[in-house]
Amino acid sequence: MIRLWVLARMVWLDLFRRKDPYVLLMVLGALLAALLSFDIFGLGNLVRYLKDVGLLLTWLLAWVLAVQLAARQLPQEERRHTIFSLIAKPITRADLVLGKWLGAWLAAAAGTALLYAATWLVVLLRGGNFELVTLMQVLLLHLCFLAFVTALSIALTTILTQSAAMTMAYLLTGAGYFLAARLPVMATGAAPAKTNVLLVLYYALPHLELFDLRQRLVHDWGPIPAGVLLGILGYGALWTAGLLLLAWLAYRRTRFTRGEMT
Amino acid sequence: MNNPIELEDLRVEFPARRGHPPMVALERVTLTVQQGTIYGFLGPNGAGKTTTIHTLLGFMAPTAGRVSILGGDASQPAIRQRIGYLSEHPELYPYLTGHELLINMGQLFGVGRTELERRAAALLARVGLASAAQRRLATYSRGMLQRIGLAQALINDPDLLILDEPTSGLDPLGRMDFRKIILGLRTAGKSIFFSSHELSEVERVCDHVAILAAGRIVAADKVEALMAPGESLEQFFLRMVMPQEVQP
Repeated sequence: MIRLWVLARMVWLDLFRRKDPYVLLMVLGALLAALLSFDIFGLGNLVRYLKDVGLLLTWLLAWVLAVQLAARQLPQEERRHTIFSLIAKPITRADLVLGKWLGAWLAAAAGTALLYAATWLVVLLRGGNFELVTLMQVLLLHLCFLAFVTALSIALTTILTQSAAMTMAYLLTGAGYFLAARLPVMATGAAPAKTNVLLVLYYALPHLELFDLRQRLVHDWGPIPAGVLLGILGYGALWTAGLLLLAWLAYRRTRFTRGEMT
Repeated sequence: MNNPIELEDLRVEFPARRGHPPMVALERVTLTVQQGTIYGFLGPNGAGKTTTIHTLLGFMAPTAGRVSILGGDASQPAIRQRIGYLSEHPELYPYLTGHELLINMGQLFGVGRTELERRAAALLARVGLASAAQRRLATYSRGMLQRIGLAQALINDPDLLILDEPTSGLDPLGRMDFRKIILGLRTAGKSIFFSSHELSEVERVCDHVAILAAGRIVAADKVEALMAPGESLEQFFLRMVMPQEVQP
């Protein structure tokens, strides 16, 4: 276990020393500025709109942050050739995949928590508030979503180049979020063959819309039942574990060369 | 007791890539490194030295032949626990300080923090980097990287040390320090396998030498048994790797 933490800590050290937090601070500044100047059609004082826009931006930024962070972990080790020093140590490929994922997930989670804090601050400044239990549920499920996204990005980098893996990660998470829930509607009235394909896709794609409880927070609908929350968390954990397993299966037999014989 | 390294009829072939036919990198490479000895692995650029080391360490799979390292194979973490490795042109983490590198690498070996701090301080002093311990590796010179690379290879107190071109980039003082360190390790019963272009260095410290040319071992024996009377290792090396007509 200590080896996983060492690998995760090295991810964090890399981020801090590369001054990535400055980028996050700039993003936070931009988010705050955008929210504080938000006044479309004179509705700036309506806290509900503020919440909606703030949480939407938080989701988008966290999504980009998670994919970017996770997708560079393994390719960067190979590009720098530090992979050789690393795999000569008594760590397994599973340790390497898990350690990198853990570091990227925790970093994305910390950044996301800051984005929520910024949104909350603006809402407070405009005289509104978030319902605390619902906010905690929204954050918890969002972190679960980020666990999925980071695991997917890392899994894809074991078989694709970094840029291709990032593109695929955006496409797959986008499909899982926007498309998966709409597939049964699309299947209604379609030809039998097309219906079957759509139903297969419905069960094969991750249902990422389940992790998004923003509207409950925006409209003060209150928290969801604990059982439902646990069910969604379990669903996310299963997907994340499955993706990490696939990443390990692909990575465990990867052989590294410098590309030339020396 | 098993020899620390045994290679038998090792063959490594790189598969064909677009526009490039398959390439045989190593062919029938056989060598044995005995316990408590220093083994020099020589060869011109492109001979296959790094490929041999990478195969030994399990970074790539051999096409044929047998690889035994510390009685097992390097895919087992328990075997790697007892190996120290320094890669060619030490590829280390530029964002870490020298001290952090040793601590992080040591923790990957499962060494406790107190013991690690002690070992890190001792190794930093041993490789002459105590005063640069808190500087980031991005600010280190090539020679300093080589020294810190050697220190991280020793952090687990390995039974077998595998070094790929450990003296490249070192100034004469650095080479002298390196010599002292590996001779000290041999005295302590450790085995050292290193590739090098520095023939005088190899001649001074190695017990055994193998010369690799175009992926094949062309000579392997005790240093003094290889050379003709009055011949230097450099002369012998050139005789082995250069075609007759271009020899000086």
